[in-house]
Amino acid sequence: MKDPYEILGVAKTATPEEIRKAYRQLAKKLHPDLNPGDKRAEERFKEVASANDLLSDPDKRRRFDAGEIDAAGAEKAPPQGRYYREYASGAGHHPYESAEGYADFAEGDDLFADLLRRSREQQREQMRRAPGADLRYELHVPFLDAVNGGVKTITLPQGGTLDVTIPAGVEDGQTMRLKGKGAPAPAEGPPGDALVQIVVEPHRYFVREGDDILVELPITVKEAALGGEVRAPTTTGGVMLKIPRGSNTGDTLRLRGKGVRTRRGAGDELVRLKVVMPKEPDAELDSFLAGWTPKAGYDPRKEM
Amino acid sequence: MITEREFLERTHLDRGTLEIWIRESWICPASTAPERAFTEMDLARANMIHDLKHNMGVNDEGLDVILHLIDQMHGLRRALAEALGSLRTGGGGSKA
Repeated sequence: MKDPYEILGVAKTATPEEIRKAYRQLAKKLHPDLNPGDKRAEERFKEVASANDLLSDPDKRRRFDAGEIDAAGAEKAPPQGRYYREYASGAGHHPYESAEGYADFAEGDDLFADLLRRSREQQREQMRRAPGADLRYELHVPFLDAVNGGVKTITLPQGGTLDVTIPAGVEDGQTMRLKGKGAPAPAEGPPGDALVQIVVEPHRYFVREGDDILVELPITVKEAALGGEVRAPTTTGGVMLKIPRGSNTGDTLRLRGKGVRTRRGAGDELVRLKVVMPKEPDAELDSFLAGWTPKAGYDPRKEM
Repeated sequence: MITEREFLERTHLDRGTLEIWIRESWICPASTAPERAFTEMDLARANMIHDLKHNMGVNDEGLDVILHLIDQMHGLRRALAEALGSLRTGGGGSKA
């Protein structure tokens, strides 16, 4: 960090008035908005501004002179966002623009006028060929349609309909791009695209986890104890499932390939068993169990 | 878009000063909405005007002249950039 007195070009004994004058003089030369083509102007202006910030504040100046703070301590130049020049020379026309500085050159038939005309023609051509805007939609898809795929029809707010082919295994939140189904172009360009975001509705008993399908399957006490074949739902219809003898709530059986089928392959369906007692008390079951004495080893709470 | 209130807060201007600047056409907010709407560009321009007035001692008469010349300079810079651009892309005479 250079010496602030040196940056402003004033003596150590300069009066506040002299410092103010020196700063103004430099600001007029170095302000980035007065030097739009000078990339280093901002850097130099900041240096001058922070030197002024330090020396124009009597307290900061005194502490700097006493060696209590160094020039870097005051480096926080007055907060300045982006300079005007960054907006004025950016792309796109703006309300402050003036052609009065070059209108005479633009009308002649010399090289400059010719190049300018061509550039404007290019811009017009670009606008003529500009594509239409993309339109966004949200499509709610029933769980099974998302797993198995299908065709859904969206009724468009501006009238008309849009058929959306849902690929099997589409995920919640996924966005599909339908080429050319967006807004028409303002001139002669191609229409924009329709961007359809998929919202998968939850299912009554299926849950998706990655490419696997989870389902909880209630079974009777008898099926749990003795085992047997029961019908288990999958996303493509019921299948027969063999319950092993002595099954328990929480035991999970895997139906290979019965999960979500995508291009990656197929997931599995995981069937979690849940033993369910009869809703109404069953006198027969009660009397049978009352007469049954469990073997000594049967204590499901012995670990507790 | 920036509301008038936010604009005044971010530029530390008072309402009366802003009215004068708008009347002088130094700042031109969009007035399509029920309320004026400002852009980041208007904000940067207000900061520039503030710098000119307060850090460089430009008076109102001088400011009018300077803003007019700055606007012309940017117009000229754009025209120059456009002309150079069309020179680089082959002038648009032959389409790719």
